[in-house]
Amino acid sequence: MTVSIGAKFGNSFERWFERHLRVLMLAPAMLVLLTLTIFPSIYMIIAAATRISPNPDLPWQFAGADNFLRLLTDEQFHVGLWNTMVFTVFAVGTEFLLGLGLALLLDRYIRRLNFLKTILMLPMMLPPVAVAITWKLIYEPQFGVLNEIMFRLGLPLQAWAGDVRLAMFSVIVADVWQWTPFMFLLMLAGLASLPDEPYEAAAIDGASAWRQFWDLTLPFLKPVIAIALLLRIMDALRLFDLVFILTGGGPADRTKTLSLYIYQVAYRFADPSYAAAISLFVLFTTVAFSTWFIKRMRLAD
Amino acid sequence: MAHRRKSIGIQRIAAYATIAVALVVTLFPVYWIAANSFKYDIDIFSIPPQWIPANPTSKHYHAAFVERPFLIYALNSLIIAVSTTLVSVVFGSLAGYALARFQYPGRWRYQISFWILSTRMMPPIVTIIPLYIAFNHLGMLNTKPAVIIAYTAFNLPFATWMMKSYFQDLPVELEEAAMVDGDTRWGAFLHVALPLARPGLAATAIFCLIISWNEFLLALILTLTERSQTLPIGIAGRVTQYNTYWGEISAAGFTACIPIMIFAFVVQKHLVRGISFGAVKG
Repeated sequence: MTVSIGAKFGNSFERWFERHLRVLMLAPAMLVLLTLTIFPSIYMIIAAATRISPNPDLPWQFAGADNFLRLLTDEQFHVGLWNTMVFTVFAVGTEFLLGLGLALLLDRYIRRLNFLKTILMLPMMLPPVAVAITWKLIYEPQFGVLNEIMFRLGLPLQAWAGDVRLAMFSVIVADVWQWTPFMFLLMLAGLASLPDEPYEAAAIDGASAWRQFWDLTLPFLKPVIAIALLLRIMDALRLFDLVFILTGGGPADRTKTLSLYIYQVAYRFADPSYAAAISLFVLFTTVAFSTWFIKRMRLAD
Repeated sequence: MAHRRKSIGIQRIAAYATIAVALVVTLFPVYWIAANSFKYDIDIFSIPPQWIPANPTSKHYHAAFVERPFLIYALNSLIIAVSTTLVSVVFGSLAGYALARFQYPGRWRYQISFWILSTRMMPPIVTIIPLYIAFNHLGMLNTKPAVIIAYTAFNLPFATWMMKSYFQDLPVELEEAAMVDGDTRWGAFLHVALPLARPGLAATAIFCLIISWNEFLLALILTLTERSQTLPIGIAGRVTQYNTYWGEISAAGFTACIPIMIFAFVVQKHLVRGISFGAVKG
């Protein structure tokens, strides 16, 4: 009897475990994500609507929309927004064109060369901090390699990351170096999954390579292109590491991105309420943009 | 016809030339940081630059890893990356399997999956201020567990989605057969699905390791001393307003790249699948 009671207890636990397996398997991940996203979100909304005193003993004061209204007149914020947009458009655009071009070349002329692929995708896996100091070394105005090349070519030497006109360009080049491989890899995977038949039909009809590219390859690649662009744009909008090391946001705030500005407001100016307001602005625009983009590209289908 | 063949030949040469240029552009910066890490200071600053180190030295490696605490930073990085990966892969497989295999009322499967992915859309700068304050209250600021918790939140959405995609690719029949033979659902997961998803587990683990090894912003804010600071933070600390310790940061920076480069060649197939998993399958 005692044995069967023990077995019965084990059985009923097992049955309970099996019955709730779906929830039990989802629970750990969901709990971690709920705690670490819901709590910060609530905190940010409260913080943004208050004026947090630097003295921790004083109570928070309700500030209503004040912190958000500051966004309208804060020139530093406008500079950060503008820089982030310029960076995103030019960096992601260049990465896309270069990545697609390289993928088309490699897909057409060199197939089954995993070794080559691995080398070409190396930059995107390296620590951004290491990438940033490498480019800092290359851009160095006195002993950097880039100015040596300019000198050999008989071109004027530049301060690159330290030059007001060239700083953003320098940041974009370093980012393009690191992230073109991502575009390249996704495009290559997309090209590998193209069906053969439409191309055979097009070849019989005598369609030029150019026509085949526009009428077949691009439409087939559209979903891959859309996802690659979305992922890269979301990353570019939060650029921090590269500018933090390479330029520190300078010179004259020319490379100050929104992420860097939030960091400065929160930690250098010790104004978490305003930092929360800017963060919420960034969060809402990112989500609004992604939702619009996903709908527009019909990615949900 | 002869003309056509000739133009294809030129195209081919142009293609190879472009690829060669791409390879040089890709590899030169990596070579350059490595080369500079082995030069004496005077050679780093030489004009014109010294393309190949004339007097190679391991001086900067000694300075960084023996005289300064870069070995501790590297160990911290390793502990944090491995712990984060373990937690993310375990939780991610469980949730990924649940989302891939179980029935849900209405559009719940889609809703939950999308919610999990959407947590990844949050820019880290948005969550970092509340996390900082929470860890501060809990007395966990400047500890490795705090960084591990933050990184897990960061890696979990990705790990869940990746494992979900791998489980969806497995044929259901094998698990059903095990259950017909008397195995429970949990048993089928543990003994059938999980071993079959080994390539997926490997790919997910590799990604979590790389992301955690490279991460900068969260560590910058959550860590203060060498008790918990990671390699990227240690490197950034040697780029000061007044002086940049080029030799040392080159040595540390190149060291931070080495495990990644070894990884890349050992596990290249997993990497390609991992990076392109969502994009091609939609």
